[in-house]
Amino acid sequence: MSSPDPPSPAVETVRIWDPLLRLFHWALAATVVLAWGLGKFGPDIMTLHFYAGYAVIGLLAFRLLWALVGPRPARFSSFVYRPREILAYAAEAWRPRPSYWRGHNPLGGLFIVVLIAVLALQALTGLVADPDDFVNVGPLAASVPSWVSGSAPGWHELLGNLTLGLVALHLGAIAFYKLWKHEDLIRPMLTGRKTVRRG
Amino acid sequence: MRRVLLAPLMAALPAAAMAADAEHVVEARKGYFSLVALEFGPLAAMAKGEMPYDAAAAKAHASDLVTLTKYDPSDLYAPGTSADDVKGTAAKAAIWQDAEGFQAKGMAFFEAVAALEPAAGAGQKELAAAVGKVGGTCKSCHDDFRVKR
Ligand code: HEC
Ligand code: HEM
Ligand code: HEM
Repeated sequence: MSSPDPPSPAVETVRIWDPLLRLFHWALAATVVLAWGLGKFGPDIMTLHFYAGYAVIGLLAFRLLWALVGPRPARFSSFVYRPREILAYAAEAWRPRPSYWRGHNPLGGLFIVVLIAVLALQALTGLVADPDDFVNVGPLAASVPSWVSGSAPGWHELLGNLTLGLVALHLGAIAFYKLWKHEDLIRPMLTGRKTVRRG
Repeated sequence: MRRVLLAPLMAALPAAAMAADAEHVVEARKGYFSLVALEFGPLAAMAKGEMPYDAAAAKAHASDLVTLTKYDPSDLYAPGTSADDVKGTAAKAAIWQDAEGFQAKGMAFFEAVAALEPAAGAGQKELAAAVGKVGGTCKSCHDDFRVKR
């Protein structure tokens, strides 16, 4: 790769993100944007929204599997940190220099767990939602008590707003790393190769 | 002395009467939509194939829906009966603030139901298409004028 000289001998540029994880990321971003947009602004007959939602479910299932059996940086064990480690990282994260973290940093790892959990809840509340219109009824709405299916649309909407907030935070964090810490995290998510601390 | 004590009580009476009325209006309004749902439910089930298609039954449900749209619902929207005013209702105050928008949603619903009537007996495919359009008008009104729980 024609990357500039490593800024310090203590770092190296290696492949961190495997191709499937990268494909997962951009497919997830596309389907979440699609599902969200179709949910808020799409046709009143929500067939396409449902399909986009199913695609999200499939991608989340893949990611959970990958967190168990995928390459090392994709595993839970690489991005779920102890609270103490997260706090320690957070305390120095504001420093205007690259983290050179090998994988997701502890704070980012926490964020990913939250984001994936919120997306999973979003999908779950959609599956059991009965919005009283008889055409956009979630496929599992009949399998849960009616107080669940009746309140699910409200939760689904709330979680949708939360998703919007999390994605904004995600993009804000990426911009913060780029502009303040001078670390480009996007390129590694495209090429797989990231400049990280040795060892 | 007695007159002085009674005055506030008298003043409170109309308000109490109004509250009772509001509850009845809300009950009637929810009853109206329960009727709509009762007639529309089987049509949707036939449209999705969850229930065998039966032209005669479909026609009967559709004509009941048409009957419901002939009822002038304005009494169901007496002022002071929104979710901001009384408990137990999901009617947004927007119904009264944007009466025109609400009526437009109602008109779309009436039109879709009018188109449903001839389609209902014409076959399962025809029914399904018309049911989808009606269901879309339910959603579209609920989105803007009904509180989500
Ligand atoms: C013009 C607006 C409008 C249209 C069209 C509409 N609804 Fe509603 N619907 C409402 C409002 C407003 C409420 C809340 C009533 C309340 O809680 O006081 C409601 C409530 C309901 C309820 C709950 C009743 C209850 O017991 O609380 C059901 C079920 C329902 N609608 C079904 C439907 C179905 C099915 C359709 C289409 C076939 C439909 N609605 C079309 C406005 C509409
Ligand atoms: C709805 C849109 C998006 C969602 C749901 C989303 C979700 C995610 C998830 C789940 C991860 C963790 C990857 C993993 O290990 O599985 C991640 C990482 C990442 N995302 Fe996104 N993403 C979205 C949009 C974007 C966009 C538009 C960009 C680029 C501008 C981006 C850049 C990144 C980067 C750079 C990482 C890696 C961060 C790191 O190095 O730790 N994301 N994203
Ligand atoms: C995880 C990805 C998903 C996202 C991001 C998403 C997002 C949204 C959003 C933003 C809305 C509009 C809420 C509002 O403001 O009223 C919505 C509505 C809806 N979604 Fe989803 N959704 C997802 C998955 C699903 C799934 C898998 C289903 C069902 C199979 C589903 C069923 C519904 C239904 C029925 C509504 C309409 C609720 C109503 O009218 O009250 N969604 N969704």
